[in-house]
Amino acid sequence: MAMARQIVVSVSGLTKAYGATSVLKGVDFSVDRGEVHALLGGNGAGKSTMIRIITGSAAKDAGEIVFHGPSGELRTEAEGRRKIAVVHQELALLPHLTVAENIALPYFANGAALFNGKRAARQAYKALAMIDREFAATSLQRLVGDLSLHEGQMVEIARALASGAELILLDEPTANLTAQETERLFSVLRRLTREGGLSVVFVSHRMKEIRQIANVCTIIRDGRTVVDRAATGSLTDADIIEKMGQAAAAHAAGRTAPTRRAVNGEALTIRESDFSLELKPGTILGVAGAPAGPSTLIATLVGAARSKRWTVSHASWPGSFSSPRQAARLGFGFITGDRSHKGILHSLPIIDNVLASRRVVRGSILTGAHERTECVDLMQALKVKAASIWNLPNTLSGGTQQKLLLARWLGLPSRLLVLEEPTRGVDIGTKREIYQLIRQMAASGTVIVWWSTENAELLEVCDRVMAFDTEGHCAGVIENEDLSEDRLAELTGMAA
Amino acid sequence: MRKGQYNAGFVEEEEMKSNLHKHVALATVALAMTLGANAAHAQEKKTVAYLAPSLDISYWQWVGYGVKQKAEKLGMDYVELTSENSPAKQMDNARTAVTKGVDAIVIGPVSSTSTPPLLAYLKSQNIPIAFAGIGPQPGQTDYTSSVTANNYETGKAQGSFVCKLAKERGGNQVGMLSLPQDRENAQKYLKGAEEAFKADGCDLAQMLETRGLTINEAVTQANDMLTAHPDIKAIYGMYDEAGTGAAKVLETRGLTGKVGIAVADGSPTTIGLLKANAIQGIFFQEAVGQGIDGTQQVYNALTGAAVKKDLALVMPLVTADKVDSPEAKAVIARVFPPAN
Amino acid sequence: MTQNTTQTSADQGQVAFQIRHRESIIGSYRTEIAIAIAIIVLALAVGSQVPQALSWGNFANITQAGAPLIIMSLGVLLVVITGGIDLSVGSVFSLTGMVTAQAMAHGFGGFEASLIGLSVGLVFGSINGFLVTIAGLAPFVVTLITFAVAGSLAFIVTNGRSMPIGDPDFWLLNSGSLVPGMPNYILFCIVLLVAIELFLKKMVAGRWFYAVGSSAQAAHLLGIPVKRTMFLAYVASSLLASFSGLLTISYILNAESTAGSSLMLQAIAAVVIGGASLLGGTGTAVGAVLGALMITVIQNGVNLIGINSFWQGSVTGVAILIAVLIDRFSKSRRGAG
Repeated sequence: MAMARQIVVSVSGLTKAYGATSVLKGVDFSVDRGEVHALLGGNGAGKSTMIRIITGSAAKDAGEIVFHGPSGELRTEAEGRRKIAVVHQELALLPHLTVAENIALPYFANGAALFNGKRAARQAYKALAMIDREFAATSLQRLVGDLSLHEGQMVEIARALASGAELILLDEPTANLTAQETERLFSVLRRLTREGGLSVVFVSHRMKEIRQIANVCTIIRDGRTVVDRAATGSLTDADIIEKMGQAAAAHAAGRTAPTRRAVNGEALTIRESDFSLELKPGTILGVAGAPAGPSTLIATLVGAARSKRWTVSHASWPGSFSSPRQAARLGFGFITGDRSHKGILHSLPIIDNVLASRRVVRGSILTGAHERTECVDLMQALKVKAASIWNLPNTLSGGTQQKLLLARWLGLPSRLLVLEEPTRGVDIGTKREIYQLIRQMAASGTVIVWWSTENAELLEVCDRVMAFDTEGHCAGVIENEDLSEDRLAELTGMAA
Repeated sequence: MRKGQYNAGFVEEEEMKSNLHKHVALATVALAMTLGANAAHAQEKKTVAYLAPSLDISYWQWVGYGVKQKAEKLGMDYVELTSENSPAKQMDNARTAVTKGVDAIVIGPVSSTSTPPLLAYLKSQNIPIAFAGIGPQPGQTDYTSSVTANNYETGKAQGSFVCKLAKERGGNQVGMLSLPQDRENAQKYLKGAEEAFKADGCDLAQMLETRGLTINEAVTQANDMLTAHPDIKAIYGMYDEAGTGAAKVLETRGLTGKVGIAVADGSPTTIGLLKANAIQGIFFQEAVGQGIDGTQQVYNALTGAAVKKDLALVMPLVTADKVDSPEAKAVIARVFPPAN
Repeated sequence: MTQNTTQTSADQGQVAFQIRHRESIIGSYRTEIAIAIAIIVLALAVGSQVPQALSWGNFANITQAGAPLIIMSLGVLLVVITGGIDLSVGSVFSLTGMVTAQAMAHGFGGFEASLIGLSVGLVFGSINGFLVTIAGLAPFVVTLITFAVAGSLAFIVTNGRSMPIGDPDFWLLNSGSLVPGMPNYILFCIVLLVAIELFLKKMVAGRWFYAVGSSAQAAHLLGIPVKRTMFLAYVASSLLASFSGLLTISYILNAESTAGSSLMLQAIAAVVIGGASLLGGTGTAVGAVLGALMITVIQNGVNLIGINSFWQGSVTGVAILIAVLIDRFSKSRRGAG
């Protein structure tokens, strides 16, 4: 059918640089009415920046953005933006207010007007019922702070609908949803796009989901559009991976042979009901897949949660850890990529951040000059450049801060080191350094358990990889020849 | 030859010697001038420093006024410092005063218990010190003079008067609005008053201590006191604001005149109430007078005249009928500054 | 499923949420009801020791003594709901009184002098609002500064002397009767209570107060004018503190430099007892008023029984602790009123 396209927004030749770093180098992107459009790209490819420019949160350096109305007429940028709603991964909700208020309040623009609770409830009901009628009927007056993440997401989407948005941008919406909730979300999106003419742009890594819901996909890499509006059916997973540039990186790095260690010592065993995995000292075990599964495992390993599902045992360890402190003192370490919330101590200087774990493990009471030397040595080993060890961490870049977290455990004799997305938001050069350090730590006899959503890096460094599927179940452990992008993607259902 | 190394050293030594002479001469002259200046300075104006415990209470401002007036009359300079109710700040102030070259101090101390280290320090600096309003800790002797009100005797006198007021109104129940009882003067007032009540056959139904010394608080306390004890026929106000507050309460309840009020300290506000017969008697504490007398005493110490160690002034009572008499006016002049 | 298939699903939904809407009104005042009960229990306890405590006269005394605190607490409530704090209310209270008295001494009539006094609240509220919103400074620090400055100005204005009120009719503000049979101080409390509660619940701008306190970041993303809302809160707080200062000097006909010193902490305590969280996003005017009443009842009880007034602090402290614990462990999470 040679029908003219009904475009909602189209972007061409968009460029944007932050200082010396060029983030977008001429991106093209367009969204039609009534379609579900998947937006793919690796970390730092430029997706978020492009979205922010489209919604008006950031200014473009060059390029064109055009908005169209339902009959194809041109719209001004202001009008166009009003019809776009973004649902971020961290939801913008007001926990102390009710569901109805959260949905409707933004649309009472006049402060001096009466807040008509009934009208708000009606508006909210209408929007929410489109998504989940039962939820709408029972939850309008519930406080948003009491809702689950999934319910909160529905409220956010309802709010976008209530605004009369014609295009909704969802940023990794299924990251923390169960399969059931994901399916519910998808059926809502299908209905809204088919029946209501709503357009949905969907940022995600999960190939299975993309195929389930998206009509077309666009892939962005290094600030450029490498695939523009390809039908999802026309690309294989391998194609997608290749386009996203992950495979190239993986090939370039090459796999290191797994036979580098023959360290003696007791093995570590991880068990879940009928599944058991033995890890000899010096093994690097990768954990891949959606957050649901790995996070429980990690939490148990760290001693932050007591899980009935997973048990981890070692000859010299108790049945389960009572606290992270106990775990640390028994030779167990944890490095997180969630630097801001779980890793860096923001108000303390670099030296305290670096020595934090050592102090716990050694049970230090006094600080002293010996610590200063140690800190400097560690920083040199990691090639961390800082003006002074007494500076605050926020004077360092994200990647450097990550290295500080690694410094915590470098050289400390540990039995097990758990890494949770340790290269998150880190540039490629620093990543390589981090991989090297991890190999070093393994060489000294530590078992490394490494969870990452970037399959490529796991392939590069790990001996074995434990893959979790989107339901949170362990789909298998692959090693040696089996270790490949395709196999991993197959088991986890995720592209990157 | 003078510019040669060997000769240069030789020459320098010579020059040095004559330079040294010059320096010694200069130094001697300078020293003489300084000493002379000091001697001259000794003939210059003396400075008296007034240390107030805090200046947010009118009373201490009035004492300061008295010190200032007397200082002017005696040809002294005046410096004012406040201790903000802190013994530590009080010591600081004393040191500051000494550093500034002050010659004498008149002080309203933060408390009697805070005085020993202060007196020890000032003795070591040879600075005469007089107390105004609140005296030193009992047992201390290293001070020039203490000009205070005789709280105990005043308490007795006022207690008696209040009891009389109650009996005139057909009852023997009295109430008291008191200063914080951690203060020595408050304790003495209370002791005297209680003895008077007992001797004259009156019953202290309730005593409430103020915390902020505000009229507002006194109003609330007087109100509640009368609610709990409607038989109270006279109120003992240990501080000026108590009188104003109690009078306000009587006015609201329509009890003006039916319940008697006697207050200590005195201010233009309470004098107004006295004239209107809303309160029946004021025991004036001569704040200004204490400042004046204290200043006179340290001046005497500086000039070698005779000094009176302890001046415990009885607080004179002025009743409504006597308020316009010349004696009353003379008393009032020593209580607070004019045009107040 | 049901027989009445004529009823559309939309209608069903409407009925469902209509019922919910009504229920929540009663349910959302749970904390306030608990405080009211606590006050009654306290009053009865005092009454058992001193029977006159339960007389109308004493109730009038309690209301009169509590009126300034009630009004000041309403102001602090507004700021607390937005997630801020206002430490300057006591100083503004005192300074207003001094400025008004001084204005009258300089020949201004009662009304004009009051306006001048209220302008103190306006000025300091604006300073607070500006520094918090535009300069982006922490509310605690900002209002600490204005607390100190206004407090010292209260002394400078009259050189620390307390001042009588010159206008002989000024007592009418507090003790007159605009409404026959009701003294003005009660009238003002009721009017302000109703106005503020309605504002918070029924006006969009009122809901914005809760939104800003709940998550300023999210509110901003939603297009709610966060800065404007916060500014308004601080101005309102200072104005109310100023007004309560006027009421007080109208009552005792004297202005004192330290008149408001003890009120600041009491106002914050009242707001907390009333169920507001100092983190923002919750709290009702009814709660704040009840909190202020509770503090006043405690004060009155201590005086009536004759306990040393220094114990008031301890009793009030325990009251706050109990109120907060009850709120913490109550079944439902406390939401926006």
